[in-house]
Amino acid sequence: MRIVVAEDLYLLRDGMVRLIEAYGHEVVATAATGPETLQALRTWRPDVAVVDVRMPPSHTDEGLRAAIAARAELPGLPVLILSQYVEQLYARELLADGSGGIGYFLKDSVFDADQFIDALERVAAGGTAMDPAVIAKLLSGGPSNRRLEKLTEREHSVLGLMAEGLSNQVIAQRLFLSESAIGKYTTSLFGKLGIVDDGTNNRRVLAVLAYLNKD
Amino acid sequence: MRQLRTWSARIGVGFSRACAVAAVGTVIPAVWAAAIALGVRWGPGNPWSWLAPVVIVAVGTLALSRPVCRAVRHLVARWTGTVVPAGYREAPPVTRMATGHWWNGFGYERTRRDALMDQKWRIRWNDPATLRDLRFTAILPLTAGLVACLPPTGAAAAVLGLGLGAGGTAGRLAGLLGLLTAVAVSPYAWRTIEPVAVRFLRPSSAMALAERVEELTVQRADMTNIQAAEIRRIERDLHDGAQARLVGLGLSLATAEKLMETDPERAKALMKEARAGATASLTELRELVRGINPPVLSDRGLVDAVRALALDSPLDVTVDADLAHRPDAPVESALYFAVAELLNNAVKHAGATRVRVSLTWGETGTGTGTGSGTGTGAGTAIVVAVEDDGRGGALVRDGGGLAGLRRRLAVFDGTLEIISPAGGPTRVTLEVPCASS
Repeated sequence: MRIVVAEDLYLLRDGMVRLIEAYGHEVVATAATGPETLQALRTWRPDVAVVDVRMPPSHTDEGLRAAIAARAELPGLPVLILSQYVEQLYARELLADGSGGIGYFLKDSVFDADQFIDALERVAAGGTAMDPAVIAKLLSGGPSNRRLEKLTEREHSVLGLMAEGLSNQVIAQRLFLSESAIGKYTTSLFGKLGIVDDGTNNRRVLAVLAYLNKD
Repeated sequence: MRQLRTWSARIGVGFSRACAVAAVGTVIPAVWAAAIALGVRWGPGNPWSWLAPVVIVAVGTLALSRPVCRAVRHLVARWTGTVVPAGYREAPPVTRMATGHWWNGFGYERTRRDALMDQKWRIRWNDPATLRDLRFTAILPLTAGLVACLPPTGAAAAVLGLGLGAGGTAGRLAGLLGLLTAVAVSPYAWRTIEPVAVRFLRPSSAMALAERVEELTVQRADMTNIQAAEIRRIERDLHDGAQARLVGLGLSLATAEKLMETDPERAKALMKEARAGATASLTELRELVRGINPPVLSDRGLVDAVRALALDSPLDVTVDADLAHRPDAPVESALYFAVAELLNNAVKHAGATRVRVSLTWGETGTGTGTGSGTGTGAGTAIVVAVEDDGRGGALVRDGGGLAGLRRRLAVFDGTLEIISPAGGPTRVTLEVPCASS
């Protein structure tokens, strides 16, 4: 895969580049500021970009805004956001355009290199990868989406794991069920959420969106 | 005909008001007169004839000055709408110390009752407002009181001279004159009370300034304490949490380095442990930073930070925001933590299901009573209202969370008002004055 890494801290950027290259992927460009990130994404159109939320010059959400702007220009550009903090608000903004190829993880996730690379590959393939912290917050109560109230407990947990970006196979392992059972659950929850397979939208992404949008 | 009715109504109202002012204004001179009369009656030679009047005058004046002033403030506010702030000093809370004694801000007492009594008297004697009240009770009978006496005196003369016919022709003439005076003066006589009260009863600018300085001193002390406590908390969290974990991480790595050649399996396990330790200390540091300065707040400002709070809350929270620009960072931070605490209260205490948060720019002093009355006039303020559908009955208690919020907002001259009838709903309004540009 051709990857762009946008991170302002040299140590972390360098470490990530080495990690990615150790797994046999190619880092085509790095960026250290918001404008640089946008520029790099425009020029290189990578298979996936790793972007830090907080970057110079303003040291606020410069990176996040660069990623959103780049996705507005190049729809579906896969971006994995890595941040010191996971905010539901930011996750919702990223998913707002309804197309896939979005990941949002805590920076700690690079500690588990396999998990990190796996997430990168899933995002590059147009899927979603959400930090369990975001999903946990959504699951821990909150005014549940009226559409979600119709789901059974099992369907709920399947949707939660699906939102993290896991495949049916992994979900089946986690819940000690067969893969075909998971298939049945996903079909029934797509039906209950009113998500039809029209061949254009990523149904899993829409399910996550239904999850993130409370109203 | 209608005009006649209006006139007579004005005269009637004016007369009754003048009587009220005259009554209030002559209470203390009446006490003095009674005391002197008593002394005269006992006659010279009786030692009580000079001691008793002095005691009666002193005690009577001191005891009555405050009720008289309160009555005047009440009457002025009711008739003219002019609010004359009382400006009495407020008593600091009485707290029980670890020794079992009660501290009232001045000294230790054995029982709560003693502490309260002691505090009451000390505040009374030290309060410049007491002196102001005494001065006013001396001035009142000579100014507004004297003028207000005209209509009732005139009426009395009329009754005596015309009604009862006392004093013959001269008496009748005096009665007629009295009646005319009473009728002519009634609509105006009571009005002198307002300028006199405003001039002499209102805290002077020097007093207001002195009070403000005192208020700020207390606020500064409060703030210093709050900050010191916060720094201690952060230091303790770092010391017990992340710091200890990093030491452990270093130890694991050192051991792993040593074992690398002899026992690679154990070395690998230790490395894994070290990684878990690094993740845990990151989580702790993250929570710590969130408690000091939430990242969304610094990234996006108050409105989005409150929206993020709404997303994280287990309640159904709606946020209405109408803020075109961001307030100063310290104000933003204070309001953010205030909203966070109020949402938390709605979950923990109110048992609410829905909460409405609104953030707007408004005018200062639009709320009911701005507390100390030392506001700097109308200006722009940021107004945050948090309304829940819970069971209500929230109170600002000493040492409680709401009192703490109020103290923190007071540093910015902000106010916290709470309307929370038993059975709900609860509405808390925070208002912090700040420049709108």
